This record gives sequence, structure tokens and C-alpha cells, in this order.
Amino acid sequence: MALLRNTSTDIRQEIPAEDAASLLAKLWDESATTRRLVARDLARFPEASHRLAERLEEESDSSVREAIITSLAALADITAVTALIDCLHSEDAALRNDAIEGLKTAGGLYPSLIQEALQDGDPDVRILAIGVLESLRHPDVEQWLIDLLDHDAHLNVCACAVDLLCEIGSGRAIPALERCSERFPNEEYLHFAVGLAIQRLQGEGTL
Amino acid sequence: MKRILIVDDAATVRLFNRQILEKAGYEVDEAINGIEALERSLLTTYDLYLVDVNMPLQDGFSFLSNLRAQAITQAPAVIISTEAGEQDRLQAWEAGANFYLIKPVKPDVLLQLVDMLTGEDDQ
Repeated sequence: MALLRNTSTDIRQEIPAEDAASLLAKLWDESATTRRLVARDLARFPEASHRLAERLEEESDSSVREAIITSLAALADITAVTALIDCLHSEDAALRNDAIEGLKTAGGLYPSLIQEALQDGDPDVRILAIGVLESLRHPDVEQWLIDLLDHDAHLNVCACAVDLLCEIGSGRAIPALERCSERFPNEEYLHFAVGLAIQRLQGEGTL
Repeated sequence: MKRILIVDDAATVRLFNRQILEKAGYEVDEAINGIEALERSLLTTYDLYLVDVNMPLQDGFSFLSNLRAQAITQAPAVIISTEAGEQDRLQAWEAGANFYLIKPVKPDVLLQLVDMLTGEDDQ
């Protein structure tokens, strides 16, 4: 029997596409499934980022939040990236982690916003912002990390900067690593991480 | 020999804790996120979990919740996090953690707690 080609090549053509206005209206629907599907569909509409950001602030369903973050990351305008950075302040670990994943995709378009997050008053936000840097592929990332090593007062922020420099840094970071180690004389983990990073940046070892 | 799973996306943290624990006679496995940790837990019985919070793909709280919900193990778990907030401590407790430590953890503090939770301090 000959193989027959399926003539209905694109089922989506049979479904009338909804416009942004009608989709946005459903973003506050009672059903989480509807909200999730709508949030996903809104990734096609640049004008949706403001309302998606608003919805994200009050959304409690994790699957809907995940869909909103994915759409914000796809839209990747300044409103979307700002909303994702705001999530780094959240007390909800899953939301923070979803936002980091979103920023890894979208953050590169607004490096100045990520750089601002590295100066945030909350050390936890600075630590999370460091988690985005590896994906940013920005030429100044190493210098930003060196600045943190030299100036950030929080031990864990410096430790995270050391960990990342160990992976993406160059020999240029070695003096700052040594200075940072001297700033925290009694911290065994930091000394261990600095030693490992210097060894790695000198080309003597791998993790 | 007691077996411990370190769950952390930071390679340096895993190596640091591994060296401390192996020197003290523990067997150590590593996972880089919650999903890998859950997979390892289905294959291996662990006496203790040391779990970071912020990790890609699946955070530490979600991992522990899944571990407890699927009744894979009731082995004690210690959350080790940079997050010092009350909400994180509460989430850790709700997810099924037994202890909450703030990074960076001093080696002697870590070993003392691990010995206690694995029953090695009785021997």
C-alpha cells in the first residue's frame, strides 16, 4: 500500500488565532490551565510583557508562573527583564530559580540591568545575579566579578564570584583573588575556593 | 560505611565538602541539581543528604519535597544555603529538611552535624 501524505499539514491553521487583547483578558481566568496556556501564547505579543509582569506578581500556581517566566524570557524587552530581576527578591526558591533560568536567556540584552543587580542592597540578590553572569557572554563579566572580590562586604557574594571566576576567569583575576582571600582571613571555604581558582587559572588543574 | 549525597550546583562546594567527609570516613556521591539527586536516590540508599537551595532545573526544596512525597527515603537532610531568611527556613522544614545551615559552613560544624545525624557520634 502506498503511503499517503497527510493533506492537513498544519492543524493550527484551522484554529482561529486569538489576538493579544482577548488572551490578556484570560490571564486572570479562574482556571490555572487556561492561565498557563494563555501565558504561553502571549509570548508572541510584545505588548503583553507589562501585563505578564503584573500577573507574575500575584500568580500562585507554579506551572503558570513558569509559563509566564518562559514568555517574559522570550519577549526579552526591558519590562520583561526588569520583571525577571524583581523575582530575584522573592522568598520563593522555585520562583527565584525560574527567574534565573529566564534571565540566562533574556538578560544578555540588558547587561546594565544585570550589573545593577550585582550592586543590589540584598546580598542574596547579588548572589543570584552572579548565577546569571555565565550565560551573559558579556566582555565585562570578569571585571564585574573582580570588582565584587575587591569591594563586596558579604562573604558569600565573594565566594560565589570566586566559584564563577574559577570557571570563566583568566589570569588577570589572580591578584584580585589573592586580595579577596586576605580580606577574609579566617574563612576556610573561601581560601579553598581561591586556591582552586588560582590553580585552575594558572592552568594547573581542573575541577 | 555511611553514604552521603551532596546536592549542589557549585563544583567547588561539592569538592570542599567531599574532601571533609571522605577524610572522616564517609562515602560521598554528588548531584548537581534536584533532578539528578532524585535519580541517584532511586538507585542508591543514602544515610544523609546535604542539599543546596538555589540550583538550576530543580531547587533543593522541590527535590526534598519530591523525595519525601514519593517515600523514597526518610534519611535526614540538611539544607545548606546562602539564604538566611525566615521564609527559606520555613520552606526547608515544610519540604522535609531536618537542619538548616548557612553557607559557608565551617568544616568542624559540618562534621559534627553529619556525625550526629548518621549516628556516627555513638560509635
